[in-house]
Amino acid sequence: MIIVGEKINASIKSVGQALQNKDEEFLINLAKDQADAGADFIDVNAGTGEGPWENAAAAMEWLIQRVQTATDTPLCIDSDDPSVLQAALSRYNGETVMINSVDAEPKRLDAIGPIAAERQALLVALVMKEGGIPRTVEERLEAADIIATRLSAMGVREEQLYFDPLVLPISVDTSQCLVTLKTIEQIKARYPSAKTIMGLSNISFGLPNRGIVNRSFFLMAAAAGLDAAIMNPLDSRLMSFVKVADMLSNRDPMCRGFIRAHRKGLLNE
Amino acid sequence: MNDIMAQLKENVIQGRITQDDEGIDDTLTGPGVVELTRMALDSKIPVKQIIADGLTAGMEIVGQKFNAKEYYVPDMLASAEAVSEAMDILKPHLEGSGVASRGKFAIVTVKGDIHDIGKNIVAILLKGAGYEVDDLGIDVPTEKIVEYVREQKPDFLGLSALLTTTMLVMGEIIEALSAVGLRGSVKVLIGGAAVSEEFAREIGADTYCADGFEAVRVLDSYRAE
Repeated sequence: MIIVGEKINASIKSVGQALQNKDEEFLINLAKDQADAGADFIDVNAGTGEGPWENAAAAMEWLIQRVQTATDTPLCIDSDDPSVLQAALSRYNGETVMINSVDAEPKRLDAIGPIAAERQALLVALVMKEGGIPRTVEERLEAADIIATRLSAMGVREEQLYFDPLVLPISVDTSQCLVTLKTIEQIKARYPSAKTIMGLSNISFGLPNRGIVNRSFFLMAAAAGLDAAIMNPLDSRLMSFVKVADMLSNRDPMCRGFIRAHRKGLLNE
Repeated sequence: MNDIMAQLKENVIQGRITQDDEGIDDTLTGPGVVELTRMALDSKIPVKQIIADGLTAGMEIVGQKFNAKEYYVPDMLASAEAVSEAMDILKPHLEGSGVASRGKFAIVTVKGDIHDIGKNIVAILLKGAGYEVDDLGIDVPTEKIVEYVREQKPDFLGLSALLTTTMLVMGEIIEALSAVGLRGSVKVLIGGAAVSEEFAREIGADTYCADGFEAVRVLDSYRAE
C-alpha cells in the first residue's frame, strides 16, 4: 500500500495559520513526522495564498522549499491550478512526484495533462465529469475512460495514472460504499498498469466512532484492489491496518513486513 | 386528537417514516409519520396544528439532539425525510389553512465546487421546516445565480462551498448581485467547511450558518423580524 500523508493542507486550520505566519518549524515538523511514520508521499496543499503571499503560487513555492529541507520523501503537489503546479515543480528537486489532481473535465485535462507528461509525474485522476460525483459504477468508468484516452493522447502513460474511485459519506447514502469498491475492481481490470488511490476519512463523515469505520473500509478497499491511500500516517491504528492489509492481500511475502512491524512495536491493536 | 399529535411528534423524533420502519431506537410500533399525518387530516386536526405541534415540534427536538451529538447525520436525515413526506401529504391542504408561506429559499454550490452533501442536508431540513426550497445544483456559474435571483425573486439565497479556493466565489456572487442592484432583494446565507462568521462579514453576506439546523433558526428569526 502506498501511503500519501495528508496533513500539510491549508484547509486544516493549524496548517492554514502556520502558512499565514510563515511558521517554518511547524510545517517542517509536520513533514518530518509523516515521513518518519512511513509516508511514501507527502501531500502539499498551500491553499489560496491568503495572508502575506503575493498569490497561491508564491505560497506553494515557499512551502515546497521548506518541506524539502525536512525530508527526501517524494511530494504530492495538491492543486488544480496549472500555474501553481508549474511553480511548485520549478522548486522541486526530487525525481518522483505526484500531482493531485485532475478529473474528466476536458478543460482541466488539457491544462494539467501536458504538465504531467513533460515531468513524467504520477497523476491523481478523480473519476467524475462536470456535474459532480456520479452515483453509479458505469458513469464513473465512463469518466475513467475519458481521462485515460485524453491523457494518453498527450503522452501520459497508463503507469502514471492514479484513479480516485471517489468516496461518499456512508451516513448520507448507504448504497455508495459498494459503488466505490466495485469501481476500484473495474478500474483495476480495465487499466492493469494504472493504480487506484483514495482518501479514507470521507467515508465516516457524520458518524460516531469514525476510526473503526475508516479502518474497516480501508481493509475492504484493499481487498478490492486499492493501491494507495491518502491518509494520516500519524494514526498508528490505521497504520497497523496498512501492514495487515498488505499481508492479507498478498503484498507481504512470508508476512515479513507484518512481523517486522510487530518487532518494532509499531502494531497497535 | 392530542394523542395523534403526541405520537406524530414522537415518530418524527424517531425518524419513523412509515409503520414498517423500526425507527432510531427500535422501540415504537404502530403508525409512522406518514400514517399519522393522514390520520390527523382524517380527524380534522387543522393543518397549521399538525405542522406546529407534530412536525416542527419534533424537528426541534431532533435539532437539539443533533447539536448535543446524541444524534448523528443518518438520524437527522431520517427525521427530515419523514417530515418532508408529511409535508407532501399536507401540501394540497395548505391553501386556506392559515399557514403562511415561509418564503422561498434558493440554495446552490458555487462555481468550481462540486460538493453537494452539505447543500442537500440544508435543503432537506429547510424543506422540512416548511420553506419552499429551490435547489440550483452544484458548480453553478455566478451569472446564472444572478439571473435566477432577478427572475425568481427568492427571499433567501444560500451559498455553499467546501474549498478554500471556491469560497472566494461567494464574495464575487455578492458583488455581482450588488452591481445589478439585486443585493437588497435577498438575504444571503453562506455555509461550508471552509467559511466562517468572520468570512461572512468580510464578503458582505448576511450571515454564516454552521449547519442546517442553524439555517432554519436564522430564517425563522428573519420572519419574526
